Amino acid sequence: MFGFMSTVIQARNLQKHFGRVHALDGLDLDVQPGEIHGFLGPNGAGKSTTIRILLGLARPTGGEATVFGQNSRTDAVSIHCRLAYVPGDVSLWPNLTGGEAIDLLSRLRGIRSRDEYDRRKRHLLDVFELDPSKKGRTYSKGNRQKVALVAAFAVPAELYLLDEPTSGLDPLMEAVFRRELSERVADGGTVLLSSHILSEVEQLCSRVSIIRAGRRVEEGSLAELRRLTRTEVSFSAANLTEADLAGIPAARDVRIDSGRVAFTVDSATLLEALPVLAALRVEGLTITPPSLEELFLRHYGLDRNDAQPPTAAVAAEPAHARHARSGR
Amino acid sequence: MTGLGSLLRQRIRRDRVQVLSWLLAIGALVFFAATALEDNFGGQAQREVLLRLATANPAIVVLRGPPQGADFDALFIFSIFAFLGLLAGLVNTFLAVRHFRAEEETGRAELVAATPIPRLLPLTATLLWGLIVNLLLALMVSGCCVAAGLDVAGSILTGVALGAIGISFLAVGLLASELMLTSRAANGIAAGTVVLAYLARGVGDALGAVSDDGLFVTSAWPSWLSPIGWGLASHPFTANDATPLVLNVGLATVLVASACLLHVRRDSGASVFGAGRGRATARATLSGSLGLAWRLQWPSVIGWALGAALLGAFGGALGTIAGSDGATNPIAEQLRALSGDGESLSQAFLSVIFTAVGILAAGCAVQAVIRARQEEAVTTAELVLAAPVRRVRWLADYLAVGIAAVLIVLIVAAVAASLSAAAVDAEEGAARDAFASALAQLPAALLYLSLVALVFVLWPRFTAPVGWGVLVAGAFLGLFGKLVGLPEWAENLSPFSHTPVALGTEVDWSGGFVMIALALVAGVGASVLLERRDIASM
Repeated sequence: MFGFMSTVIQARNLQKHFGRVHALDGLDLDVQPGEIHGFLGPNGAGKSTTIRILLGLARPTGGEATVFGQNSRTDAVSIHCRLAYVPGDVSLWPNLTGGEAIDLLSRLRGIRSRDEYDRRKRHLLDVFELDPSKKGRTYSKGNRQKVALVAAFAVPAELYLLDEPTSGLDPLMEAVFRRELSERVADGGTVLLSSHILSEVEQLCSRVSIIRAGRRVEEGSLAELRRLTRTEVSFSAANLTEADLAGIPAARDVRIDSGRVAFTVDSATLLEALPVLAALRVEGLTITPPSLEELFLRHYGLDRNDAQPPTAAVAAEPAHARHARSGR
Repeated sequence: MTGLGSLLRQRIRRDRVQVLSWLLAIGALVFFAATALEDNFGGQAQREVLLRLATANPAIVVLRGPPQGADFDALFIFSIFAFLGLLAGLVNTFLAVRHFRAEEETGRAELVAATPIPRLLPLTATLLWGLIVNLLLALMVSGCCVAAGLDVAGSILTGVALGAIGISFLAVGLLASELMLTSRAANGIAAGTVVLAYLARGVGDALGAVSDDGLFVTSAWPSWLSPIGWGLASHPFTANDATPLVLNVGLATVLVASACLLHVRRDSGASVFGAGRGRATARATLSGSLGLAWRLQWPSVIGWALGAALLGAFGGALGTIAGSDGATNPIAEQLRALSGDGESLSQAFLSVIFTAVGILAAGCAVQAVIRARQEEAVTTAELVLAAPVRRVRWLADYLAVGIAAVLIVLIVAAVAASLSAAAVDAEEGAARDAFASALAQLPAALLYLSLVALVFVLWPRFTAPVGWGVLVAGAFLGLFGKLVGLPEWAENLSPFSHTPVALGTEVDWSGGFVMIALALVAGVGASVLLERRDIASM
């Protein structure tokens, strides 16, 4: 089976330099068929630059990227026949209506069945509550984003490249987006979802790549990544002594705060602590699995205590990208 | 009022290069026009011939103004004042819209409005900056007139009249910004008003009463509908009467007051004429990047074509004067100096007119490439290029629209010239001459198209400034290089200097073939190099 379904996206040692700024510094990325792959990183980590290289809009300074096994730059047109792209900051043509923009982009990608397209488009306009007869210049940011999402979902694609696609959407629309995306994946689509909204990634993604300053620092399924991190345990501090707490195996960062004891434990060794807790007959026990946020902070948050300035990652954002955003 | 000071400084800082360039260009135009006229029409007899020719043919009066006698300084006002009024108007409307509607459209005005400043303060700062610019304009024009050796009192009135015209159109720009939702629409309405004002006084002057000696025209009532007409009515150097300028200031006061009233009543970002709604689905023609390129550009192509139609009709109508003075006329000599073309006087006129049409066509071509750059800069090009559209194809579509636009402009001008020549019973072959002259303009326009495309591929950020810059420089060198006495090599830098000679005895198309070959090379180069660069907004 996997002989046929080879890796959808493969990037090896991607480099992208803007003058002295290294936006990408040896990035690897692997996306398998049928997965929603979370592409995580703070602003300026190189997410958009990677996606622009995958689209063939930008040339890597070094390294290679393939999509469907084809070179992202030289075979761009044949790759684009099979993918849909939603940018994070959608600009529309000011004098075209949203409906015209959706039709244009869908026709560019190639509508195979008119009826099928009309049906899907009507459904999407309906669920996203988008008025297609307004001119592009009058849409709010969220509505511009909806136009791009409807255009992306109206024609089926094998790969969806989504660059922070929900920025500007309200929580109800985020839920609509998640539902529609899941349907596309059920139809056999693969997704690369760049985001810094961790709850979204947690709900949607089967695998994630965490990047930082132009490099992948972590990759795996959420379950695998969780195993690498610590689980938070807390319970009522009533009737417990310091000695009781000291006897809990593998507990770290033990603290007592407003009447509750809290500590962390390696996810792998959590079971060893449970018999001791049972013997102490602790009350109000809660066990919280590590959130993606903690995974994330493991790679970014730790830095905040380091000598390295916390803005290091932001500084790696190419100057031109920042200007482009603020200049609009 | 520290707020007012900050806002004013912000406007000055943003505009300093642009406004200074405009002022210097207008000053240079005044100075060189005065000195060139001195060289070419130094003699009283020459000037009288020119003016009688003009009053005999209303088309010239439409473009220039009402002659006020054969004195040198009166001729200066006749030949250039209305055009300067047009420029002053455009500088002001663009300034007003840039600091007003464009700011609201982009949302920057909201950032400013959220600070503790009075609601009308940004408008006041823009008005104040506009007034300063018009004061500088008046000083610049007066100074250049005096420097060119003209009478001081008349020079000052010339500057003041242009400043007054500018203030009227500053107010027009402010009001247009209140009315329209986008800066593009506001600019269109305001600039359209300037052109309309220029034409209204043209019609009034053309319908005016000509004196018996043919050296004076008293404008008819339509001229009094136009702020440029009021400026002309002050008759610098002759009557020297500033009274009509009260109308300019009065109009400005009424318009600014209306703008302020509208401004305090409406929401920030809103406008009197709201956003239109449109089709919920796209027409069948909007199905590829060519359809998109055409959709984005056809309104401006129509604008350019209207200008070409006016010029063409004007050029065709000049055919009537050919019989009146014959080909040995000193005016014909002057026209040949301008165009280097033509056997008869009407052919010479036609060449000059079609050189202007050629500049319009080249402008159309430059704009087509700039549109591609704008698409890239606002990232809408990414949406198209992320679909299965080859880059080369994408650029070629914009160039194709550019070529179509050039052809439309040239054909419209030629048809208009033929029709108006037929209407005034011009000499035989006028239509053939018009089409030949139009065809001769094609190579230079195509060369501009692909040269600017090459700039777009190599230095995308400079597409617009370089595009318009080389067009203006080329037009100046090609049209006025000889008149202001520039060396031949400088003149030869302009594509317009190599436009084929289509009329007269020395027909020569070789320059055209060379330019088309160069255009092909540049176009192929642009296509190849586009594949090698990033698509980026900066």
